[in-house]
Amino acid sequence: MLKFIGKRFLWMIVTLWVIITVTFILMRFAPGSPLDIDDVGMSDQARENMMAHYNLDQPVILQYLNYLKNAITFDFGPSMVTRSREVSDMLASGFPASLQLGLVTLILAVISGIILGVLAALRHNKLIDYMTMFIAIIGISIPNFIQAMLFIQYISSQFDFFPTAQWGTWRHAILPALALASGPIAIIARMTRSNMLEVLTEDYIKTAKAKGLSNFQIVVKHALRNALLPVITILGVLVASIFTGSFVVERIFAIPGVGQYFVESITNRDYPMIMATTIIYSTIFIIMMFIVDVVYGIVDPRIQLHKKEE
Amino acid sequence: MKKKWLMLMFTLMLSMVLVLAACSDEGSDSEESDDDATDTEETDSDDSAAGESEAGENVLVVNNESEPTSLDPPIGNDQYSYDVLNNIGEGLTRLGADEAVPEPAMAEDWDVSEDGLTYTFNLREGITWTNGEPVTAQDFEFSWKRLADPDTASPAAQHSYWIAGAEEFNAGEADEEDVLVTAIDDQTLEVVLENPTEFFPSITAMPQLFPVHKETVEEDDNWAGSLDTIVTNGPFKMAEWDHDVRILLERNEDYWDAENVALDGVQYEMIDDSSTAYQLYEDGTLDTVAMPADMIETLIDSEDAFVAPRAGIEFQRFNVNEEPFHNKKIRQAFNYAIDSQIIVDRIIQGDENIAEGFVAYGFLTPDGEDFRDVADSHYPYDPETAQQLLEEGMAEEGYDELPTVTFSYNTSDQHSIVSQAIQEMILENLGIDIQLENSEWAVFMEAQQGLELQYSRSSFLGGYNDPINFLTNFTTDNPMNRTDFSNEEFDALINSSYEEDDANARFDLLLEAEALLMEEAPIVPLYFYNHTFLYKPEVNNIVRHPVGFVEFKYASLD
Repeated sequence: MLKFIGKRFLWMIVTLWVIITVTFILMRFAPGSPLDIDDVGMSDQARENMMAHYNLDQPVILQYLNYLKNAITFDFGPSMVTRSREVSDMLASGFPASLQLGLVTLILAVISGIILGVLAALRHNKLIDYMTMFIAIIGISIPNFIQAMLFIQYISSQFDFFPTAQWGTWRHAILPALALASGPIAIIARMTRSNMLEVLTEDYIKTAKAKGLSNFQIVVKHALRNALLPVITILGVLVASIFTGSFVVERIFAIPGVGQYFVESITNRDYPMIMATTIIYSTIFIIMMFIVDVVYGIVDPRIQLHKKEE
Repeated sequence: MKKKWLMLMFTLMLSMVLVLAACSDEGSDSEESDDDATDTEETDSDDSAAGESEAGENVLVVNNESEPTSLDPPIGNDQYSYDVLNNIGEGLTRLGADEAVPEPAMAEDWDVSEDGLTYTFNLREGITWTNGEPVTAQDFEFSWKRLADPDTASPAAQHSYWIAGAEEFNAGEADEEDVLVTAIDDQTLEVVLENPTEFFPSITAMPQLFPVHKETVEEDDNWAGSLDTIVTNGPFKMAEWDHDVRILLERNEDYWDAENVALDGVQYEMIDDSSTAYQLYEDGTLDTVAMPADMIETLIDSEDAFVAPRAGIEFQRFNVNEEPFHNKKIRQAFNYAIDSQIIVDRIIQGDENIAEGFVAYGFLTPDGEDFRDVADSHYPYDPETAQQLLEEGMAEEGYDELPTVTFSYNTSDQHSIVSQAIQEMILENLGIDIQLENSEWAVFMEAQQGLELQYSRSSFLGGYNDPINFLTNFTTDNPMNRTDFSNEEFDALINSSYEEDDANARFDLLLEAEALLMEEAPIVPLYFYNHTFLYKPEVNNIVRHPVGFVEFKYASLD
């Protein structure tokens, strides 16, 4: 196990290095510069001074080394757009909101996705099946920003219980989480349903029935556990994207999360912020993939993380 | 250091939460409740941090759209920053409540030398910083030299170039001592200008030239980044700052004119999405909001509408050294062929004035008339003249067929609609089928600055209260030129206007320069911008001049 983790860890470092390097190259090849984002008719001299200030006048290889150093030390310096604030400061203050919203979304998505999927499978080709799959298809085919706008327009304006937008209490989280979760709910529900259908025809389910176990026990203990394996796979990907915030939904609900930085840093060519967001996202993603692999081993003993010692 | 750890912690926390979540799938009760506990704790702590906005009775709630870039005067240099800074800071002068005329602010009065080159500002008695220390002439000297200092790397450095020696200092060719701004004593500031600049008191009202507290700045480079360290001198002061969420200002009781400040405070929300902001205006959270572009048509006639001219222009640039636009007549033909009125009436819909010249409305001549009203009107919509000029131009160049014309714009729904309308007008009036091409802002900007675009959209927002602000853009070396337009006569007119110390003569030069610019037509002016806002009925006297930034000093709530 330790050997496996060690090896994976090394690979994680290498992967990160590749990502960082590729990002750097892409960043510098993209036309446009962070200094031109506000078109204020900056004098040529002022531009030169700013280039020098941000070390953009140095040879590219030096900039790259500097950039690697910053990445390793987690010190990204001040943003080139929000110039009075440190990149790490901005991200740290945005993470709690994104994280909370992400957790609510995740819990909502997993619980309702699995319940819907199981219900649909148990009532295969009955009304409930059609209804849940209809809901799932709507959830996945209406983009979350449209849902978000519809929620604001038709739900929060009718019911004072739901604030129009902004962040603060748990009530603020409901509508955005719903908008964010509907896609994942649909994915999880459809996956759970098809896996359940497959598992329910297996021999060991028949055996369990024959042994006289209650329906509930069969479904939860025997069927669901096996049906969830593929769901765990997509959870890894989902978690990484949910926890790093959603640009669109956060923007529409005016939630001060980190989602905005992932998108705006690129349109703004805010180099330090691009670097920070890339590293954070890929780190979370890689860690999630690792966790998924480990969890596999726990859920399904047949999957071995390492070859047995001989 | 602390921040780094915070970041690491977050990444670690994330992974831990996930491990927990994954484990609880396995069904251990105790772990599940652990997970729940951390969850609620987080929610609680955030509640108190965000502190549901319960603005007091007399606090105006506005939308700033985004976190200010920086509240450090030479660094911010955009509307998100200066809409706030203008209300927490103050320069030597401030634009008046009714007219955009500079009135004494930190300075009580000022003298101008006979040659118009030396200004001596006398500061008020008893003006203080929010930390209690007096605002001195030394602070101004320090701040203005700091604006010009190449090490400050201010994007607004050009606004110091009025001062003799500042441009050279900014270029590293002169020393700080060569910048001729001097504190004679605590209350007297002497400035020697590069040229006689009769509108210099308007310049000193700009946030770029606001003073900073010397000791604070020297102590901490990032002094303007947090509530604990920021020191200001304006009608309001910072009371709360929740980054990316809101800024709360409260009235600065020590401000010299505090008795004329009616509001107890101003609360800036940061809501980026214009239709969400509109919903928050509708539900009463915001007292004022900018009209969302796609709703202007219906909102412009509402009782809450506030519409006023803004010193900015939407226009198009030709590259005057690229075929076919190296020909003046062809450029003029395009000017005649585009009907700006239709664009304003059918697409923009904010009651904008169409642009019959380059200088926007709102700049007064020495006689108190609007420059735009005095100046000639150019290129009324006239398809016949357009057609005729095109034929003449094509004959001059020996074209049987015009080379392909590509119009470029930065990606946006509105620009796309306007560009298509223009494409249609040009096809109908000139028989030319132009290509449209759009790209992301940063890419577009680089191409336009690099003179790679043949024909492209553009805009300009005035920064200070004089027509020269607009016209100087088209001198040969100006970074805003971006057309490759270079005309000796035009450059000479602009230069002599800088040197002219008689106001009337100077305005004559500017009028002549604009007429020449329009005759040469490196651009197609379309329309001038408007401020388009909604104000709740109880909101009074928010000041929005054509130039400058919003003023809440005079505002009140019924």
